[in-house]
Amino acid sequence: MKSIKIALYFFPLLFAGRVPAQANTSAQAAESTVLMLENAWNQALRLGESKALQELFVDGLVYIDYDGKIMNKGQYLAHVQTPLLHPEFVVSESMRAHAYGDSVVVTGVYREKGTKNGQPYALRERFVDTWIQQKGTWLCVSSQSTLISH
Amino acid sequence: MGKRVIGWGILYFLTLLAGAQEDVRQNAGSKILAVESVWNQAEARGDIKALSLIFDESLVYVDEDGTLLTKAQFLARVKSAGSRPQSLVTPDMNVQVYGETAVVSGTYHVIEVEKGKPLQRNGRFTDIWIYRFGVWLCVAAQATPISR
Repeated sequence: MKSIKIALYFFPLLFAGRVPAQANTSAQAAESTVLMLENAWNQALRLGESKALQELFVDGLVYIDYDGKIMNKGQYLAHVQTPLLHPEFVVSESMRAHAYGDSVVVTGVYREKGTKNGQPYALRERFVDTWIQQKGTWLCVSSQSTLISH
Repeated sequence: MGKRVIGWGILYFLTLLAGAQEDVRQNAGSKILAVESVWNQAEARGDIKALSLIFDESLVYVDEDGTLLTKAQFLARVKSAGSRPQSLVTPDMNVQVYGETAVVSGTYHVIEVEKGKPLQRNGRFTDIWIYRFGVWLCVAAQATPISR
């Protein structure tokens, strides 16, 4: 009887080690998924696939561009479809994702080269994107960029 | 009798949990905006202790020049700052809450004196808050100068 009591007392410890392991696994899965979506975002930008882009964001998206201009989802989608903007090289580097339950925060360096109004341009920005999971789908809720000036 | 007491106990506990969850969602916006205000005051005073409580250990902070700072680096920079801003205001802030994640965006206006000359800076910021351990903690913050 005494041994049963002792076993019952320590029973929760069996799960104490497992719960964080499961949490780590799901956090890693969330981080990997979101990093893939970040790359898909860049590809959609380069190819001008506005329909694919549209599905990456919540309706309440807050997008702050490198010059401080704030845009909602509709404004951002219109902005990237400007006929005079032609991004030819789009890449995100040094990306790091951190999961917090149903949300993931991604930091990285974004580089873009192309032509705008016929003139060549090159950008190097630090970004923070925040994603949330809604009904099993990861969606970006906010994105901000700052020019790297050093 | 015993079972009924246990049943009511569980029901009470579940009600408390539901109430706590509801409270998180309903008051999140005003609570977070209040902490944003405390942040401004603490940063202007160089109050590292207060700032430390506002940020999660995993904080990522992107400064106006694109520098990426950790929590320790940001606090060290505030502590070592030679001059404090004379004024740091965030005139308009908007908060969006998604469950246990909140996004605060807005503009900031800083007035500081450098080498005897007043300097003014305007920018736009985003702060990301996560509800952890029963409190809202800032996990990411970014500032971008407004150039047009």
